[in-house]
Amino acid sequence: MAALGPRRLLPPGRRWFSQTVPGAPSPPASPLYPPVVASITAKSKAAKSRRLQRFNQRVHAAATVEEKLRLYGKLQRPKYMVYPQTFALNADRWYRSFTKTVLVPGMPPRAGATKPPVAAAGATPETGRAPEPGAEAPRDAEVPGAAKTPEPAAGATPYVDIGELRSLACDALLQESFYQNKKRPFLYRDQDHTPGPFLTQLVSTLAASLSCRNPLLAVSSLDLNPEVNYYWHHGKEVVVHGHRKGRVDPVRFQIDDNPHLQIRVPKQLPEVVPLESDLGDVPVIDHKPSKLPLFKKQYENKVFIGSKVADPCCYGHTQFHLLPDRLKRERFIRERLEDQIEVVYRSNGIASLFAWTAAQAMYQGFWSEADVTRPFVSQAVVTDGKYFAFFCYQLNTLALTEETIKNSPRKNICWGTDSKPLYDVVEDGNVKGFNDEVLLQLVRFLLNRPKEL
Amino acid sequence: VFPGVRQAQWLTKTKLVEGLPPAVQGIMDNAALGLQELEERAKHVVAHARLWDTTEVAPRRERYCPMLFENLIHICRLMSGKYPSLSKRMLARNCRIAATWERESILLQVRGLSGILMNSMTPIPPVASKEEILATKEHVLETFYPIAPTIDLQEVNVYKELNDTGQCFRDGYPYSHPHTLFFLESANVRTDRFRPEQLRAKMLMFAFGNALAKARVLHGNDPKVLEEPVVVQSIGTDGQLFQFMVFQLNTTDLVSNDGIKNLVWIDSDQNLYERAQCVPEVKKRVVTKPAGISGFQPDTFKKFLALYLHGTV
Repeated sequence: MAALGPRRLLPPGRRWFSQTVPGAPSPPASPLYPPVVASITAKSKAAKSRRLQRFNQRVHAAATVEEKLRLYGKLQRPKYMVYPQTFALNADRWYRSFTKTVLVPGMPPRAGATKPPVAAAGATPETGRAPEPGAEAPRDAEVPGAAKTPEPAAGATPYVDIGELRSLACDALLQESFYQNKKRPFLYRDQDHTPGPFLTQLVSTLAASLSCRNPLLAVSSLDLNPEVNYYWHHGKEVVVHGHRKGRVDPVRFQIDDNPHLQIRVPKQLPEVVPLESDLGDVPVIDHKPSKLPLFKKQYENKVFIGSKVADPCCYGHTQFHLLPDRLKRERFIRERLEDQIEVVYRSNGIASLFAWTAAQAMYQGFWSEADVTRPFVSQAVVTDGKYFAFFCYQLNTLALTEETIKNSPRKNICWGTDSKPLYDVVEDGNVKGFNDEVLLQLVRFLLNRPKEL
Repeated sequence: VFPGVRQAQWLTKTKLVEGLPPAVQGIMDNAALGLQELEERAKHVVAHARLWDTTEVAPRRERYCPMLFENLIHICRLMSGKYPSLSKRMLARNCRIAATWERESILLQVRGLSGILMNSMTPIPPVASKEEILATKEHVLETFYPIAPTIDLQEVNVYKELNDTGQCFRDGYPYSHPHTLFFLESANVRTDRFRPEQLRAKMLMFAFGNALAKARVLHGNDPKVLEEPVVVQSIGTDGQLFQFMVFQLNTTDLVSNDGIKNLVWIDSDQNLYERAQCVPEVKKRVVTKPAGISGFQPDTFKKFLALYLHGTV
């Protein structure tokens, strides 16, 4: 028949056998047969992908975040345990490849408004800040340990009084190392004896005194010795032995971290760079992760930021990590591995911050199939009691599995500094060689807050 | 055998006053502190310690008792934004206290790990007025005849009479005045924890020990009536029940039974919350007790905060 569009060939009411009325407004007939799709239970690649799709839909459709997390980590299989504090050589390159992170040396440039101008002359002036006028005495190399009177600054209210904070830091250090009579440290537990309590005291007193300048700290939650866990898939491998031999499986990783101290806040930190920025390259390593060495174990797949989903302080602000005795500098120097000292700090910063930010993103409902729509930013300070290294991490993507990593060009970014000493030595009730730079950086970290506040 | 506080009173020559002293009450009633929003934060903090802190279903007492204490101290410390002199405080953990004194020819000694001590640079001003101190002269200490007052105390041969909180800190320590002692009964098993009465007695003994050591450092070792009494506070808890105590040392002359006595104000058995339910209790498909913290008492938190701010406000 000529395709002349709908035409009335027959008057209505009359039917002609083998002709249907073209373009008649009858409802479209429902398909007579169900759609032809792959089976669910067959042992075939199509069935595997259909099962995966059904799983993804189940997780997408989960009603609450707890249900989502439960379904996400339901299947237990052997997975690599990634330790943030590790002696493995060049571990930070491996960790960057597992987490698709770009390492940028130095601290991110921040807008001049969020940086606190400092009351003491002689502090390094950053761009956009005029040195504070006022008669301040130049800082001495030796700082007496007893309470130092805060340096008077003209119009000091918007400025951070570095003298006051320095005296707080010195008091905390002296109390823990000098004034309090303690028993000898237990074998290989030097870090719990002095640097641990010093760090706790320092952070709690600094956070308390800076809370008037940073209203976010005033509603923060301070956790001592919390637990941070994250579980993810990245890459694929073939199962080597066992009853599942020969099957292609994603490579599973789990980070179980115990920072010394962490600060959680109810509002998110602002993004440092836009979501799609590309600041470098992610290292590609062709070897299996077990060469690092990393070992596999099967246990519960946990995702935890330090407290449960119901807590209103669900975003992270700053973590503080204390390096244990087995990773101290003298050991590396003795084994002639001086270049690995910085690797320890970097791997700790990258792995811990990735786990924390990714767990925060999962608490907001994002996961590898539903990638983050806003970047998650957190900070960390890694120290061994004397040397401090600062890290800032921006999570731009959670899509690290084999299927999703192809479609996502985003990379996570980590800014990190080298470790610098806070002081030279403590002698006879005096702290010698106190380094204001490190204290200032710590203060800047604690004062970080969203732009609205 | 009989309540421990009465025995401790005799041993330390102390008169008991129920409730907290008027200075502390005054801080509590001071509306300028903004206690309303602090209540919200206190509730969150209790929920965090009791419900949210762990990957398991419910945290154990060994974890939630210290966590609750740390969280409450964190809220109190954040007030140093408003009162800058609060930053002149320092917490010291695991300090050992030793003090000896004589009571009616019996040599007594307090020694041990006294929990967590908060020191400050400035002493707490005396809480009781001069008249109240003089009025304690008439007070007669309760004796327990025929039971000796040293019952249940361990008799030890002491070779060195150790006597200072300088034992805990060296000379020249800037935060030299003991401010508050904190006792956390965090053992999981109930028999390992002190009962409230025993906890109060322990608090009294350690507060007395700290105050005595400080008084001896300030005024010398001779027993005499103190011109400026030394005040030490003490807070004890097992994670839910709080005991508050303010101790004022008026005299170091402890040998005789009469004369000026020391004073202690005790506020006991204050519940911070009634019940913390981690999983809702369901009986016959009906939720009888919903999950969460129920029965939160803001007054207990206000007392905690008032004792923390005492001395600087």
